[in-house]
Amino acid sequence: MSNEELDSQLSAMFDDELPAPQCELLARRLARDDALKARWGRYAAMGAAIRAERSLSLDSGLARRVSTAIAAEPVLVAVPAPDARSPHARATAARWWQPLLGGALAAGVAAAAILWLHAAAPVVPAVAQLAATVPDAVTTQSVASDAADSDSYVVPPAVESASFAPPTELADFVVAHSEFSTPLLRRSALSALVAAEAATSTPTPPPQSAPHGQRQDESKAVHAAGAP
Amino acid sequence: MSADTSDLSLVRRVQRGDRGAFDALVLKYQHKVVKLVMRYVRNPAEAEDVAQETFIKAYRALPQFRGDSAFYTWLYRIAINTAKNAVVSRDRSPVDYDLDVQNPDESYDMQSRLKDSETPEGLVLTDEIRATVNAAIDALPEDLRTAIVLRELEGLSYEEIAAAMGCPVGTVRSRIFRAREAIDRRLREVFEGGLGRAEEIG
Repeated sequence: MSNEELDSQLSAMFDDELPAPQCELLARRLARDDALKARWGRYAAMGAAIRAERSLSLDSGLARRVSTAIAAEPVLVAVPAPDARSPHARATAARWWQPLLGGALAAGVAAAAILWLHAAAPVVPAVAQLAATVPDAVTTQSVASDAADSDSYVVPPAVESASFAPPTELADFVVAHSEFSTPLLRRSALSALVAAEAATSTPTPPPQSAPHGQRQDESKAVHAAGAP
Repeated sequence: MSADTSDLSLVRRVQRGDRGAFDALVLKYQHKVVKLVMRYVRNPAEAEDVAQETFIKAYRALPQFRGDSAFYTWLYRIAINTAKNAVVSRDRSPVDYDLDVQNPDESYDMQSRLKDSETPEGLVLTDEIRATVNAAIDALPEDLRTAIVLRELEGLSYEEIAAAMGCPVGTVRSRIFRAREAIDRRLREVFEGGLGRAEEIG
Protein backbone atom coordinates (compact mmCIF):
# COMPACT_ATOMS: atom_id res chain seq x y z
CA MET A 1 0.00 0.00 0.00
CA SER A 2 1.39 3.42 -0.95
CA ASN A 3 1.83 6.12 1.63
CA GLU A 4 -0.82 8.22 -0.06
CA GLU A 5 -3.30 5.39 0.04
CA LEU A 6 -2.40 4.77 3.67
CA ASP A 7 -2.88 8.44 4.56
CA SER A 8 -6.13 8.50 2.63
CA GLN A 9 -7.35 5.57 4.67
CA LEU A 10 -6.19 7.29 7.85
CA SER A 11 -8.21 10.37 6.95
CA ALA A 12 -11.29 8.24 6.30
CA MET A 13 -10.76 6.32 9.53
CA PHE A 14 -10.51 9.57 11.44
CA ASP A 15 -13.97 10.43 10.12
CA ASP A 16 -15.40 6.98 10.90
CA GLU A 17 -15.83 6.42 7.19
CA LEU A 18 -13.52 3.47 6.68
CA PRO A 19 -15.03 -0.02 6.38
CA ALA A 20 -14.60 -2.11 9.52
CA PRO A 21 -12.13 -4.70 8.14
CA GLN A 22 -9.78 -1.96 6.90
CA CYS A 23 -10.29 -0.17 10.17
CA GLU A 24 -9.06 -3.19 12.09
CA LEU A 25 -5.91 -3.41 10.03
CA LEU A 26 -5.20 0.30 10.16
CA ALA A 27 -5.85 0.47 13.92
CA ARG A 28 -3.18 -2.15 14.37
CA ARG A 29 -0.71 -0.14 12.31
CA LEU A 30 -1.70 3.16 13.90
CA ALA A 31 -1.01 1.81 17.37
CA ARG A 32 2.59 1.00 16.37
CA ASP A 33 3.52 3.73 13.90
CA ASP A 34 4.50 6.98 15.61
CA ALA A 35 4.60 8.99 12.37
CA LEU A 36 1.10 7.85 11.55
CA LYS A 37 0.03 8.70 15.08
CA ALA A 38 1.49 12.20 14.75
CA ARG A 39 -0.42 12.74 11.52
CA TRP A 40 -3.59 11.47 13.20
CA GLY A 41 -2.99 13.97 16.01
CA ARG A 42 -2.58 16.81 13.52
CA TYR A 43 -5.86 15.88 11.85
CA ALA A 44 -7.48 16.34 15.23
CA ALA A 45 -5.66 19.61 15.82
CA MET A 46 -6.69 21.11 12.50
CA GLY A 47 -10.27 20.11 13.12
CA ALA A 48 -10.15 21.93 16.45
CA ALA A 49 -8.65 24.97 14.74
CA ILE A 50 -11.34 24.98 12.05
CA ARG A 51 -13.96 24.88 14.79
CA ALA A 52 -12.16 27.78 16.51
CA GLU A 53 -11.53 25.75 19.65
CA ARG A 54 -8.88 27.80 21.36
CA SER A 55 -9.09 26.07 24.70
CA LEU A 56 -6.14 23.75 24.20
CA SER A 57 -2.67 24.84 23.35
CA LEU A 58 -1.77 22.50 20.53
CA ASP A 59 1.70 21.75 21.79
CA SER A 60 0.59 21.26 25.37
CA GLY A 61 1.89 17.71 25.42
CA LEU A 62 -1.29 16.42 27.01
CA ALA A 63 -1.27 13.27 24.91
CA ARG A 64 2.35 12.64 25.81
CA ARG A 65 1.67 13.02 29.53
CA VAL A 66 -1.28 10.65 29.32
CA SER A 67 0.85 8.15 27.43
CA THR A 68 3.55 8.35 30.10
CA ALA A 69 0.98 7.92 32.84
CA ILE A 70 -0.66 4.86 31.34
CA ALA A 71 2.73 3.31 30.64
CA ALA A 72 2.96 2.87 34.41
CA GLU A 73 -0.45 1.21 34.49
CA PRO A 74 -0.82 -2.56 34.30
CA VAL A 75 -1.61 -3.96 30.88
CA LEU A 76 -5.33 -4.17 30.38
CA VAL A 77 -7.08 -7.47 30.13
CA ALA A 78 -10.69 -7.22 29.06
CA VAL A 79 -12.98 -8.83 31.60
CA PRO A 80 -16.21 -10.49 30.50
CA ALA A 81 -19.17 -8.32 31.25
CA PRO A 82 -21.33 -9.64 34.12
CA ASP A 83 -24.34 -9.85 31.84
CA ALA A 84 -22.58 -11.00 28.69
CA ARG A 85 -24.50 -14.29 28.52
CA SER A 86 -26.73 -15.19 25.66
CA PRO A 87 -30.31 -13.87 25.74
CA HIS A 88 -31.57 -17.44 26.27
CA ALA A 89 -29.30 -17.94 29.29
CA ARG A 90 -30.40 -14.61 30.75
CA ALA A 91 -34.06 -15.54 30.26
CA THR A 92 -33.54 -18.93 31.89
CA ALA A 93 -31.75 -17.39 34.83
CA ALA A 94 -34.48 -14.82 35.23
CA ARG A 95 -37.22 -17.47 35.13
CA TRP A 96 -36.30 -19.67 38.11
CA TRP A 97 -36.87 -17.06 40.77
CA GLN A 98 -40.16 -15.80 39.37
CA PRO A 99 -42.29 -18.44 41.21
CA LEU A 100 -40.43 -17.66 44.44
CA LEU A 101 -41.13 -14.01 43.95
CA GLY A 102 -44.81 -14.74 43.35
CA GLY A 103 -45.00 -16.84 46.51
CA ALA A 104 -43.27 -14.21 48.57
CA LEU A 105 -45.63 -11.57 47.26
CA ALA A 106 -48.68 -13.70 48.06
CA ALA A 107 -47.42 -14.40 51.58
CA GLY A 108 -46.75 -10.73 52.11
CA VAL A 109 -50.22 -9.75 50.96
CA ALA A 110 -51.78 -12.38 53.22
CA ALA A 111 -49.78 -11.22 56.24
CA ALA A 112 -50.69 -7.62 55.54
CA ALA A 113 -54.37 -8.55 55.23
CA ILE A 114 -54.33 -10.40 58.58
CA LEU A 115 -52.62 -7.49 60.31
CA TRP A 116 -55.06 -5.08 58.74
CA LEU A 117 -58.05 -7.12 59.87
CA HIS A 118 -56.72 -7.22 63.40
CA ALA A 119 -56.08 -3.52 63.44
CA ALA A 120 -59.19 -2.37 61.59
CA ALA A 121 -61.80 -4.39 63.50
CA PRO A 122 -61.50 -3.48 67.18
CA VAL A 123 -65.27 -3.77 67.55
CA VAL A 124 -65.34 -7.45 66.80
CA PRO A 125 -63.56 -8.60 69.97
CA ALA A 126 -65.69 -6.28 72.04
CA VAL A 127 -68.85 -7.64 70.51
CA ALA A 128 -67.54 -11.15 70.82
CA GLN A 129 -66.71 -10.55 74.45
CA LEU A 130 -70.08 -9.08 75.00
CA ALA A 131 -71.73 -11.91 73.20
CA ALA A 132 -69.65 -14.31 75.19
CA THR A 133 -70.91 -12.94 78.41
CA VAL A 134 -74.36 -11.70 77.64
CA PRO A 135 -75.85 -14.88 76.29
CA ASP A 136 -74.63 -16.58 79.40
CA ALA A 137 -77.37 -14.70 81.09
CA VAL A 138 -79.77 -16.00 78.58
CA THR A 139 -78.59 -19.50 79.05
CA THR A 140 -78.83 -19.19 82.76
CA GLN A 141 -82.41 -18.34 82.28
CA SER A 142 -83.51 -20.49 79.41
CA VAL A 143 -80.94 -22.73 77.78
CA ALA A 144 -79.89 -24.43 80.95
CA SER A 145 -83.39 -25.59 81.48
CA ASP A 146 -83.53 -26.79 77.94
CA ALA A 147 -80.28 -28.72 78.09
CA ALA A 148 -81.98 -32.01 78.50
CA ASP A 149 -83.70 -31.90 75.11
CA SER A 150 -80.85 -30.20 73.21
CA ASP A 151 -77.73 -32.23 72.84
CA SER A 152 -76.28 -30.20 70.01
CA TYR A 153 -75.24 -27.26 72.15
CA VAL A 154 -72.96 -27.01 75.09
CA VAL A 155 -74.69 -25.57 78.04
CA PRO A 156 -72.53 -22.83 79.48
CA PRO A 157 -72.09 -22.58 83.18
CA ALA A 158 -74.25 -20.15 84.99
CA VAL A 159 -72.67 -16.86 85.85
CA GLU A 160 -73.57 -14.19 88.26
CA SER A 161 -75.73 -11.40 86.92
CA ALA A 162 -73.31 -8.94 88.49
CA SER A 163 -70.86 -9.65 85.67
CA PHE A 164 -73.29 -8.36 83.05
CA ALA A 165 -72.85 -4.99 81.56
CA PRO A 166 -75.36 -2.58 82.98
CA PRO A 167 -78.43 -2.36 80.78
CA THR A 168 -77.92 1.30 80.00
CA GLU A 169 -74.35 0.85 78.90
CA LEU A 170 -75.30 -2.23 76.99
CA ALA A 171 -78.02 -0.34 75.18
CA ASP A 172 -75.59 2.45 74.34
CA PHE A 173 -73.12 -0.09 73.06
CA VAL A 174 -75.68 -1.76 70.86
CA VAL A 175 -76.79 1.55 69.41
CA ALA A 176 -73.27 2.77 68.86
CA HIS A 177 -72.04 -0.41 67.25
CA SER A 178 -75.09 -1.59 65.42
CA GLU A 179 -73.66 -0.13 62.28
CA PHE A 180 -70.59 -2.32 62.48
CA SER A 181 -71.93 -5.53 63.95
CA THR A 182 -73.46 -8.36 62.00
CA PRO A 183 -77.22 -8.88 62.21
CA LEU A 184 -76.70 -12.07 64.17
CA LEU A 185 -74.50 -10.43 66.78
CA ARG A 186 -76.81 -7.43 66.95
CA ARG A 187 -79.74 -9.65 67.59
CA SER A 188 -77.79 -11.56 70.20
CA ALA A 189 -76.83 -8.35 71.96
CA LEU A 190 -80.38 -7.07 71.87
CA SER A 191 -81.58 -10.33 73.31
CA ALA A 192 -79.00 -10.04 76.03
CA LEU A 193 -80.21 -6.55 76.73
CA VAL A 194 -83.76 -7.73 77.07
CA ALA A 195 -82.65 -10.61 79.23
CA ALA A 196 -80.55 -8.36 81.40
CA GLU A 197 -83.48 -6.05 81.97
CA ALA A 198 -85.64 -9.03 82.77
CA ALA A 199 -83.01 -10.31 85.17
CA THR A 200 -82.87 -7.03 87.00
CA SER A 201 -86.63 -6.95 87.30
CA THR A 202 -87.16 -10.65 88.06
CA PRO A 203 -84.12 -12.19 89.74
CA THR A 204 -85.42 -15.75 89.37
CA PRO A 205 -87.23 -16.15 86.09
CA PRO A 206 -89.23 -19.24 85.37
CA PRO A 207 -87.09 -21.87 83.62
CA GLN A 208 -89.48 -22.41 80.67
CA SER A 209 -90.08 -18.73 79.85
CA ALA A 210 -88.32 -18.43 76.48
CA PRO A 211 -89.76 -19.98 73.34
CA HIS A 212 -87.87 -22.90 71.99
CA GLY A 213 -87.01 -21.38 68.58
CA GLN A 214 -85.65 -18.23 70.12
CA ARG A 215 -83.50 -20.16 72.54
CA GLN A 216 -82.07 -22.13 69.66
CA ASP A 217 -81.16 -18.94 67.76
CA GLU A 218 -79.51 -17.40 70.74
CA SER A 219 -77.55 -20.52 71.41
CA LYS A 220 -76.40 -20.54 67.86
CA ALA A 221 -75.24 -16.95 68.29
CA VAL A 222 -73.31 -17.95 71.36
CA HIS A 223 -71.75 -20.78 69.50
CA ALA A 224 -70.93 -18.53 66.57
CA ALA A 225 -69.28 -15.97 68.82
CA GLY A 226 -67.01 -18.63 70.20
CA ALA A 227 -68.32 -18.79 73.69
CA PRO A 228 -67.76 -22.05 75.56
CA MET B 1 -20.96 1.38 7.81
CA SER B 2 -21.72 2.06 11.42
CA ALA B 3 -20.51 5.15 13.21
CA ASP B 4 -17.78 4.75 15.81
CA THR B 5 -16.18 1.91 13.85
CA SER B 6 -12.70 3.34 14.04
CA ASP B 7 -13.01 4.10 17.75
CA LEU B 8 -14.21 0.58 18.44
CA SER B 9 -11.32 -0.87 16.48
CA LEU B 10 -8.92 1.10 18.64
CA VAL B 11 -10.82 0.33 21.86
CA ARG B 12 -10.71 -3.42 21.16
CA ARG B 13 -6.98 -3.21 20.65
CA VAL B 14 -6.55 -1.38 23.96
CA GLN B 15 -8.68 -4.01 25.65
CA ARG B 16 -6.33 -6.64 24.31
CA GLY B 17 -3.41 -4.84 25.91
CA ASP B 18 -2.25 -2.52 23.10
CA ARG B 19 -1.46 0.78 24.81
CA GLY B 20 -0.44 2.40 21.53
CA ALA B 21 -4.05 2.27 20.36
CA PHE B 22 -5.05 4.32 23.37
CA ASP B 23 -2.59 7.03 22.29
CA ALA B 24 -4.58 7.38 19.09
CA LEU B 25 -7.80 7.81 21.03
CA VAL B 26 -6.21 10.49 23.21
CA LEU B 27 -4.86 12.34 20.18
CA LYS B 28 -8.26 12.26 18.54
CA TYR B 29 -10.30 13.44 21.50
CA GLN B 30 -8.00 15.60 23.61
CA HIS B 31 -9.19 18.86 22.07
CA LYS B 32 -12.83 17.98 22.45
CA VAL B 33 -12.39 16.81 26.03
CA VAL B 34 -10.52 19.98 26.99
CA LYS B 35 -13.20 22.08 25.32
CA LEU B 36 -15.84 20.17 27.26
CA VAL B 37 -14.21 20.47 30.69
CA MET B 38 -13.53 24.16 30.10
CA ARG B 39 -17.23 24.63 30.80
CA TYR B 40 -16.60 23.54 34.39
CA VAL B 41 -13.10 24.66 35.34
CA ARG B 42 -11.47 28.05 35.40
CA ASN B 43 -8.55 27.99 33.05
CA PRO B 44 -6.88 25.97 30.28
CA ALA B 45 -4.19 24.57 32.59
CA GLU B 46 -6.78 23.20 34.98
CA ALA B 47 -8.74 21.90 32.02
CA GLU B 48 -5.68 20.02 30.80
CA ASP B 49 -5.21 18.45 34.22
CA VAL B 50 -8.83 17.36 34.27
CA ALA B 51 -8.53 16.06 30.72
CA GLN B 52 -5.43 14.08 31.67
CA GLU B 53 -7.22 12.58 34.64
CA THR B 54 -10.19 11.82 32.41
CA PHE B 55 -8.08 9.83 29.97
CA ILE B 56 -6.33 7.91 32.73
CA LYS B 57 -9.67 7.03 34.31
CA ALA B 58 -11.00 6.02 30.92
CA TYR B 59 -7.99 3.78 30.35
CA ARG B 60 -8.51 2.06 33.69
CA ALA B 61 -12.22 1.62 33.00
CA LEU B 62 -11.83 0.41 29.43
CA PRO B 63 -11.99 -3.30 30.33
CA GLN B 64 -15.58 -2.70 31.37
CA PHE B 65 -16.49 -0.76 28.22
CA ARG B 66 -18.77 -2.99 26.16
CA GLY B 67 -19.60 -0.68 23.30
CA ASP B 68 -23.25 -0.21 24.26
CA SER B 69 -22.76 3.48 23.62
CA ALA B 70 -20.32 5.30 21.40
CA PHE B 71 -16.83 5.58 22.86
CA TYR B 72 -16.87 9.38 22.82
CA THR B 73 -20.22 9.44 24.64
CA TRP B 74 -18.74 7.21 27.33
CA LEU B 75 -15.58 9.30 27.44
CA TYR B 76 -17.52 12.54 27.73
CA ARG B 77 -19.45 11.19 30.72
CA ILE B 78 -16.16 10.43 32.46
CA ALA B 79 -14.89 13.90 31.58
CA ILE B 80 -17.97 15.63 32.98
CA ASN B 81 -17.83 13.66 36.23
CA THR B 82 -14.10 14.31 36.60
CA ALA B 83 -14.58 18.02 35.96
CA LYS B 84 -17.39 18.23 38.52
CA ASN B 85 -15.27 16.45 41.10
CA ALA B 86 -12.39 18.80 40.35
CA VAL B 87 -14.62 21.80 40.92
CA VAL B 88 -15.78 20.40 44.26
CA SER B 89 -12.22 19.63 45.36
CA ARG B 90 -10.99 23.03 44.27
CA ASP B 91 -13.75 24.83 46.13
CA ARG B 92 -12.84 22.93 49.32
CA SER B 93 -9.09 23.57 49.22
CA PRO B 94 -7.35 26.95 49.26
CA VAL B 95 -5.30 27.95 46.23
CA ASP B 96 -1.59 27.54 46.89
CA TYR B 97 0.95 28.51 44.27
CA ASP B 98 3.97 27.97 46.50
CA LEU B 99 6.61 25.58 45.28
CA ASP B 100 6.52 22.18 46.88
CA VAL B 101 9.95 21.75 48.43
CA GLN B 102 9.30 18.06 49.01
CA ASN B 103 8.58 17.45 45.35
CA PRO B 104 10.19 20.19 43.29
CA ASP B 105 9.96 18.32 39.99
CA GLU B 106 6.21 18.03 40.17
CA SER B 107 5.89 21.68 41.15
CA TYR B 108 8.10 22.70 38.27
CA ASP B 109 5.99 20.65 35.91
CA MET B 110 2.86 22.37 37.15
CA GLN B 111 4.46 25.81 36.81
CA SER B 112 5.60 25.06 33.29
CA ARG B 113 2.15 23.90 32.33
CA LEU B 114 0.63 27.03 33.78
CA LYS B 115 3.06 29.02 31.68
CA ASP B 116 2.31 27.03 28.53
CA SER B 117 -1.43 27.32 28.61
CA GLU B 118 -2.43 30.22 30.81
CA THR B 119 -0.07 32.88 29.65
CA PRO B 120 -0.65 35.04 26.58
CA GLU B 121 2.16 33.13 24.82
CA GLY B 122 0.05 29.98 24.89
CA LEU B 123 -2.94 31.79 23.52
CA VAL B 124 -0.86 33.44 20.83
CA LEU B 125 0.38 30.03 19.77
CA THR B 126 -3.16 28.75 19.56
CA ASP B 127 -4.17 31.80 17.59
CA GLU B 128 -1.26 31.31 15.24
CA ILE B 129 -2.23 27.73 14.59
CA ARG B 130 -5.77 28.75 13.89
CA ALA B 131 -4.62 31.53 11.59
CA THR B 132 -2.40 29.10 9.72
CA VAL B 133 -5.20 26.60 9.30
CA ASN B 134 -7.60 29.29 8.16
CA ALA B 135 -5.06 30.62 5.68
CA ALA B 136 -4.51 27.11 4.35
CA ILE B 137 -8.24 26.61 3.96
CA ASP B 138 -8.60 29.89 2.11
CA ALA B 139 -5.92 28.77 -0.32
CA LEU B 140 -7.69 25.50 -1.07
CA PRO B 141 -9.64 24.95 -4.27
CA GLU B 142 -13.33 25.48 -3.79
CA ASP B 143 -14.33 21.82 -3.87
CA LEU B 144 -11.71 20.84 -1.28
CA ARG B 145 -12.59 23.76 0.98
CA THR B 146 -16.28 22.99 0.85
CA ALA B 147 -15.69 19.33 1.63
CA ILE B 148 -13.43 19.90 4.63
CA VAL B 149 -15.61 22.66 6.07
CA LEU B 150 -18.77 20.59 5.75
CA ARG B 151 -16.99 17.74 7.49
CA GLU B 152 -15.18 19.55 10.29
CA LEU B 153 -17.43 22.51 10.92
CA GLU B 154 -20.85 21.06 10.13
CA GLY B 155 -20.06 17.48 11.12
CA LEU B 156 -21.70 15.97 8.03
CA SER B 157 -21.02 12.39 6.99
CA TYR B 158 -19.38 11.60 3.67
CA GLU B 159 -22.72 10.52 2.30
CA GLU B 160 -24.36 13.78 3.33
CA ILE B 161 -21.50 15.78 1.84
CA ALA B 162 -21.76 13.77 -1.37
CA ALA B 163 -25.44 14.59 -1.57
CA ALA B 164 -24.78 18.26 -0.87
CA MET B 165 -21.98 18.50 -3.43
CA GLY B 166 -23.53 16.22 -6.02
CA CYS B 167 -20.59 13.83 -6.27
CA PRO B 168 -19.77 10.24 -5.31
CA VAL B 169 -18.78 9.37 -1.76
CA GLY B 170 -15.35 8.26 -2.97
CA THR B 171 -14.75 11.74 -4.38
CA VAL B 172 -15.68 13.28 -1.04
CA ARG B 173 -13.24 11.02 0.74
CA SER B 174 -10.49 12.03 -1.70
CA ARG B 175 -11.27 15.74 -1.42
CA ILE B 176 -11.22 15.70 2.35
CA PHE B 177 -7.95 13.82 2.38
CA ARG B 178 -6.34 16.25 -0.06
CA ALA B 179 -7.58 19.20 1.92
CA ARG B 180 -6.08 17.77 5.08
CA GLU B 181 -2.79 17.10 3.37
CA ALA B 182 -2.62 20.70 2.16
CA ILE B 183 -3.39 22.10 5.60
CA ASP B 184 -0.91 19.73 7.21
CA ARG B 185 1.85 20.89 4.86
CA ARG B 186 1.27 24.51 5.84
CA LEU B 187 1.26 23.67 9.50
CA ARG B 188 4.51 21.78 9.29
CA GLU B 189 6.12 24.61 7.29
CA VAL B 190 5.10 27.22 9.85
CA PHE B 191 6.14 25.31 12.89
CA GLU B 192 9.03 23.43 11.30
CA GLY B 193 7.73 20.16 12.56
CA GLY B 194 7.34 21.53 16.08
CA LEU B 195 3.68 20.65 16.24
CA GLY B 196 4.28 17.18 14.90
CA ARG B 197 7.17 16.61 17.32
CA ALA B 198 5.24 17.99 20.26
CA GLU B 199 2.39 15.56 19.70
CA GLU B 200 4.54 12.62 18.82
CA ILE B 201 4.26 9.82 21.28
CA GLY B 202 6.60 7.01 21.79
